[in-house]
Amino acid sequence: MHMADALLSPAVGLGMGAVSAAAVGVTAAMGKRDDFSEGKIPLMGVAGALVFAGQMVNFTIPATGSSGHIVGSVLLSALIGGGPAFLAMTAVLTIQCLFFADGGLLALGCNIFNMGVIPCLVVCPLVFRPLLRGGVSNRRLSAASVVSSVLSLELAALAVTLLTFLSGIAGLPFAAFASLMLPIHLVIGLVEGVVTAAILVFVHRMRPELIDASAPLSGRRREGRSAKKVLISLAVLAIASGCALSLFASTHPDGLEWAVGKTAERAQGQGQADGQGEVQGEADGQAQGEGEGEGTELVAQGNNNSGLHDDAAALRDSTAFLPGYVFAADPENEAGVVVSGLVGTLAVFAASCAVGLVMIPLVKYRKKSVSDAGP
Amino acid sequence: MASRVRELRALETLAAGRTAIHRLHPFAKMLTALVFIVLTASYGRYDFLRLAPYLFYPFVMMAVAELPYKLILTRLAAALPFCLFAGLSNVIFDRGAAFAVGGVTVSLGVLSLATILIKAYLCVMSALLLVATTPFPELMAQLRRLRVPLSIVLVFETAYRYVGVVLEEARSMTTAYKLRGGGKKALLMRHMGAFVGQLLLRGFDRARRVHAAMRCRGYSLHRPPPARHPFAPADALFTAAVCIPAAVLRFVW
Repeated sequence: MHMADALLSPAVGLGMGAVSAAAVGVTAAMGKRDDFSEGKIPLMGVAGALVFAGQMVNFTIPATGSSGHIVGSVLLSALIGGGPAFLAMTAVLTIQCLFFADGGLLALGCNIFNMGVIPCLVVCPLVFRPLLRGGVSNRRLSAASVVSSVLSLELAALAVTLLTFLSGIAGLPFAAFASLMLPIHLVIGLVEGVVTAAILVFVHRMRPELIDASAPLSGRRREGRSAKKVLISLAVLAIASGCALSLFASTHPDGLEWAVGKTAERAQGQGQADGQGEVQGEADGQAQGEGEGEGTELVAQGNNNSGLHDDAAALRDSTAFLPGYVFAADPENEAGVVVSGLVGTLAVFAASCAVGLVMIPLVKYRKKSVSDAGP
Repeated sequence: MASRVRELRALETLAAGRTAIHRLHPFAKMLTALVFIVLTASYGRYDFLRLAPYLFYPFVMMAVAELPYKLILTRLAAALPFCLFAGLSNVIFDRGAAFAVGGVTVSLGVLSLATILIKAYLCVMSALLLVATTPFPELMAQLRRLRVPLSIVLVFETAYRYVGVVLEEARSMTTAYKLRGGGKKALLMRHMGAFVGQLLLRGFDRARRVHAAMRCRGYSLHRPPPARHPFAPADALFTAAVCIPAAVLRFVW
């Protein structure tokens, strides 16, 4: 699940770094008002260390013979609340990145987003808490854990795929990578959910106040929203932002890809000055040849007039997985266009969902912390 | 689990060294590591050969900072699997020929695999060089001086301090479980609830006790961390000596 520096482009790495840093800043700023009192900060640190240790405890997965470990972010959100859990996960991931080479400094933002923002700030307030609104029982706790864990891991797997794809370092086609990642993480999510449920049920039996206090109960909330309402508004926002994003996407095709191409272009400029010009020159020639041979290549049509743009497009083709939305491996394949289009649409949709998912909980979380502090 | 504790301890011992690199200002080292990683990551997919000069940085730094090579290899092993997976998929999907060396044609995929591996190595190295030459509290103090919110830095600090403690606790629990468990290699899944639940409860209680004790002894969140020495010309020189050649290699050469 940890992404590595070597597979990320600086644009994606730094961009996600900024997103995660903003999330950390907002969480800390909101926490300053209420529940991050001096007593809670060491608790958050210890919780981080505990998750780290929990990740080291290997258990056998029945019927497979293999062993696994938990990620623990849903567990932590359930125990100490989404915001504090998010900061704790940030600390864990930073320590893992610095001291154990799990992930990298450039990838830290991506990893914090995948394993912190998604489970603690998105899934916890939107799915886990609403499911427990009717009161905490073993069955509800288990159901909430499994659903939240599966959802968190699937979203994270999707994010990993998307970010790797956008970086353009690994040559895996998006669809192939996603079809590999999503089923695997469905299974991992189920196992994680079952184990999380077992732990939470145990903790609830031993110390009910730990979970009941952090899970807002219906009677105490002044402005409780139903899960259905939340999900509907979420869907509306996701679709709206999807439309907005796809408009943006059609007027500015592939901003990131363009950036990557730009970088590659500059690299090539200097590359030809030295001995390795041949390597890249050949790569370009090939990609360009493919692009021009294929009538469906959209970008190549318009850029006969500008040599520089031509160069950049060809280079971008040689760096992208789906050069001009045609599979790199088989440019003759007409179906490739359709699949590429589908994948692109899915990618934009996923990105828009992510934007929507991030925006709502931030608003909601704020309200929640205010209403929690009230009574 | 035991290996993680050892690794952490080894790094802490290394960070307590007294070489010229260790004495540099934390900010200089942080900035250098970040710039180096971003520059490394910004190279294209097939820039294997152009990246080669970057290898000088980790090797020279390791020599000057007197770091052992073995530790680095074990850390690299942690970062490799995913990179290797993605790199090998490049070999499969990217079949175009890049160039020929003495009759053997090297494909673009192989070239990109090599590029990914060298990037992984450089990135892991520069993060390691940072933590192996700077004690964690100094890094955190620097973050506070950079106006990172206090609560975040404190969470980092406590998490770091407790990692060793909690790992030890988890290790002794695992050992006890294994000794009573009749030769099991790992926990049964149905025991995870009680096991990790117990670990969590113990940990939280311990945190409360330790925090109370710290408060009793006058620990306060709001004391600013003292800087060991100001940002000196030597620090600026170090940053420039690494970043400028790296940037020149990347953009001009």
